[in-house]
Amino acid sequence: MGLHSYFGGATIQTLKMAAVPASASYSRFVFSPISRNLVALDSFPRHSPSPPFPLLARALSMAAAVQTTPPSSEMVGSVGKPQWKAAIDFKWIRDNREAVAENIRKRKSKASLELVLELYEKMLAVQKEVERLRGERNAVANMMKGKLEPSERQKFIEKGKNLKEALASFEEDLVKLSDELQQEAQSIPNMTHPDVPIGGEDSSAVRKKVGSPREFSFSVKDHLQLGKELDLFDFDAAAEVSGSKFYYLKNEAVLLEMALVNWTLSQVMQKGFTPLITPEIVRSSIVEKCGFQPRGDNTQVYSIEGSDQCLIGTAEIPVGGVHMDSILAETVLPLKYAAFSHCFRTEAGAAGLATRGLYRVHQFSKVEMFVLCRPDESDTYHEELITIEEDLFSSLGLHYKTLDMASEDLGAPAYRKFDVEAWMPGLGRYGEISSASNCTDYQSRRLGIRYRPAELAASTNPKKGGKGNLAPTKFVHTLNATACAVPRMMICLLENNQQEDGSVIIPEPLRPFMGGMEVLLAKHHTG
Amino acid sequence: MGLHSYFGGATIQTLKMAAVPASASYSRFVFSPISRNLVALDSFPRHSPSPPFPLLARAVSMAAAVQTTPPSSEDIGTATGKPQWKAAIDFKWIRDNREAVAENIRKRNSKASLELVLELYEKMLAVQKEVERLRGERNAVANMMKGKLEPSERLKFIEKGKNLKEALASFEEDLVKLSDELQQEAQSIPNMTHPDVPIGGEDSSAVRKKVGSPREFSFSVKDHLQLGKELDLFDFDAAAEVSGSKFYYLKNEAVLLEMALVNWTLSQVMQKGFTPLITPEIVRSSIVEKCGFQPRGDNTQAYSIEGSDQCLIGTAEIPVGGVHMDSILAETVLPLKYAAFSHCFRTEAGAAGLATRGLYRVHQFSKVEMFVLCRPDESDTYHEELITIEEDLFSSLGLHYKTLDMASEDLGAPAYRKFDVEAWMPGLGRYGEISSASNCTDYQSRRLGIRYRPAELAASTNPKKGGKGNLAPTKFVHTLNATACAVPRMMICLLENNQQEDGSVIIPEPLRPFMGGMEVILPKHHTG
Repeated sequence: MGLHSYFGGATIQTLKMAAVPASASYSRFVFSPISRNLVALDSFPRHSPSPPFPLLARALSMAAAVQTTPPSSEMVGSVGKPQWKAAIDFKWIRDNREAVAENIRKRKSKASLELVLELYEKMLAVQKEVERLRGERNAVANMMKGKLEPSERQKFIEKGKNLKEALASFEEDLVKLSDELQQEAQSIPNMTHPDVPIGGEDSSAVRKKVGSPREFSFSVKDHLQLGKELDLFDFDAAAEVSGSKFYYLKNEAVLLEMALVNWTLSQVMQKGFTPLITPEIVRSSIVEKCGFQPRGDNTQVYSIEGSDQCLIGTAEIPVGGVHMDSILAETVLPLKYAAFSHCFRTEAGAAGLATRGLYRVHQFSKVEMFVLCRPDESDTYHEELITIEEDLFSSLGLHYKTLDMASEDLGAPAYRKFDVEAWMPGLGRYGEISSASNCTDYQSRRLGIRYRPAELAASTNPKKGGKGNLAPTKFVHTLNATACAVPRMMICLLENNQQEDGSVIIPEPLRPFMGGMEVLLAKHHTG
Repeated sequence: MGLHSYFGGATIQTLKMAAVPASASYSRFVFSPISRNLVALDSFPRHSPSPPFPLLARAVSMAAAVQTTPPSSEDIGTATGKPQWKAAIDFKWIRDNREAVAENIRKRNSKASLELVLELYEKMLAVQKEVERLRGERNAVANMMKGKLEPSERLKFIEKGKNLKEALASFEEDLVKLSDELQQEAQSIPNMTHPDVPIGGEDSSAVRKKVGSPREFSFSVKDHLQLGKELDLFDFDAAAEVSGSKFYYLKNEAVLLEMALVNWTLSQVMQKGFTPLITPEIVRSSIVEKCGFQPRGDNTQAYSIEGSDQCLIGTAEIPVGGVHMDSILAETVLPLKYAAFSHCFRTEAGAAGLATRGLYRVHQFSKVEMFVLCRPDESDTYHEELITIEEDLFSSLGLHYKTLDMASEDLGAPAYRKFDVEAWMPGLGRYGEISSASNCTDYQSRRLGIRYRPAELAASTNPKKGGKGNLAPTKFVHTLNATACAVPRMMICLLENNQQEDGSVIIPEPLRPFMGGMEVILPKHHTG
């Protein structure tokens, strides 16, 4: 069959395995392909001598008795049993331990490679033992099919019983070890592109700088002041109705949002992106599989009460989920999506950060680009994404710089990340307006998104007949990039395009999407 | 001051009172204006003879001892459903119009208990009166003790004062509890009903208007799901995995169609003087309640946010209703007309068995909602204006629809009258609701605390109070809400009605400029 091998060297025949929700019975199911293989093997003659199993079984039973208290799998769940399994390549990690350790250091990650490797070796050992015991059990069962002396038969019955017990406790260990391993290994960050600068935020390298800060002949206002005079926002009412960091957009701000979204979509559609509007409520497991933490005190994620669902913080999550647990034909790659959604973030832990006005808010509109492609093309598409972003921002006349983010500033899923920071004269600083990340196979290994190469690799063994024509599947690479995060774009447009009379010029490209409107004029209220 | 009187006849001086969140100390605060009035009154000489208070005090103490076990106000709050905020319900009006209110409750098949409300109200008034009297006594005693007294006389007064204080405390506690109970019961009384509303269940709803007729097809029609599949417009399957059933992705031209519908609708209603808004979609649960929805309970339509008092909006009516919460508007700014774009989220609990195919009933959708705040005498007129705007919008898109004056039993508690528009959906083979326009009169404004101050003085106003006499008493505004465009149901109509034999779908003229001139959605041929 030649399927891609990723789980401790065992071939995986069940595509959905990596993503089936855990249940009491699921954990055992994980290993059933192995068990099927073993049964098949056991029908062949065995040559290895059997070890003194009654002794071993006793020793194991004791060990198991110690380890399985408390034995309830639900209690295991409460100590953080993973609800789904990432298709992490443990063998690769073991074979590249130096590089992985170096990468964990570079990224200042808290992941423990030692623990992962220790658990992996333990698991392999237990797995081997389980296989051996299954073989023994089958051998005993076969023996008993023939005619036997009653005393002989009694011996075999006893032997079979002991084997069964030993096997059960080993299998239980295996499930637990596999869960622990999964949990520890999930915190290992993606590898890092060789060109990524090593260090903290200050080490990030400027890739590109466009324009220069506009010189004002009058004293500049920030977007809040402009918004007040132009009657564009209502933060006060939103604070009463919803809480702080919520807002209403009003009057031309509504038109500006619509125009930004429309224009951005029309631009990226011309580049071959398929437009989407996504669900904004998703299962928590999808959030996890994209590499975000939906639970915990400092989570950015709003959870829905009484369900396993939460609100999305970015359309990256539902778009990542579109092709979950599937094998794509190579010919459909790359898949390029441009998804419009509202995004919701708790901004827990954001106290002290720049939070003025629209800069850091709980809800905003965003167009997000998302690409699924072949592994060898992800660097190229990463360049394409950042170029699209830069072109969009240049068209709107912004002054910005593009940064190649330093290793310690990368989230766990990112192999490399480019941020765009634009000049916000009212706030008097550069502010992040977008981000483009290459996540390589970090998300696809969690989401179970593979493709089947169209051509056979030269080394493929043709002996297996018809099925030999299918190349082994591979994980796609995923990339995501902000096309337009509306509130920060509004900050840039209002603060950069303000005029001395308090009006704000609308950039040329947006005007057709605002019924030809060229300028936002200050209002005079009677209220 | 001449402020509008609504709470058991007592003048209310604190505007925010009706909407301040409840806390352990709040319930007592509710009555502090009364207590201040009484103190003021007590400084005048009293003529009424005092009743034999030690006896009463004892009787009261016993009653209180029975009633206040368990005594914790937090227990009361959680166990008996103490309201978190107070609606400015006009109990006096309810009592004075009990026949009409009872008749209305019957008409609307409401479960509200008028008897209980009136009983609680009378009880509360009695206790309130007793509290006032006892406060007077207490003050009289306190005044007595300011003078010179024999020690034995003084001791008597001390004893008397102590008894009074105890009696007062237990009455005040009763008052708080009665007021909470009254509030809770009274909140379930529905709004009154417009005299023209047909009485009865859904079948009694009257057709107000009918536009167009079902299109005749010379080929077998597809429903929007089939069309969406062939045109690659939706993905319900992926959404079921990622989010759950009744979620969906819009894709390709469906995205453009949504954007066009929203843009076109906003541009149309802005021309009619509506102010566009984009609203928060997470709001405090209390705002949901004040708009007349139930954010809690097994069958709630509202998604709640874990670990907070917030929930997701089911309609922009909620955040727009909240914009002017707890404020007094100048009459000159009325009417306020808003057109709010938002995403809406609904659990659709209890929707099993209802028409749920495809986009008809979904957990999340985009909507433009109109909302009007106006003077009470104008709400009928604006209701007509709103339904006319809706009808014009749907006519422009070429839909065949009918407008219904919804029957009394089909009105939600906040609505005084409701017009629904039902459009023909040939693929589904039936009419489906695509919009709704409700006049909520002062039901929501009494909960949200939205008043206005009439610009002109009423002729009867007494000018004796000097400067302040120039201010007319505030009144509650009327609120109205109406769907301008609920995107998924519009999509059903447009796709199913405008389908062609070759599987393509014609885009209505008005939307084309908002889709870059696109005139038709063509079937795709996929390689995937």
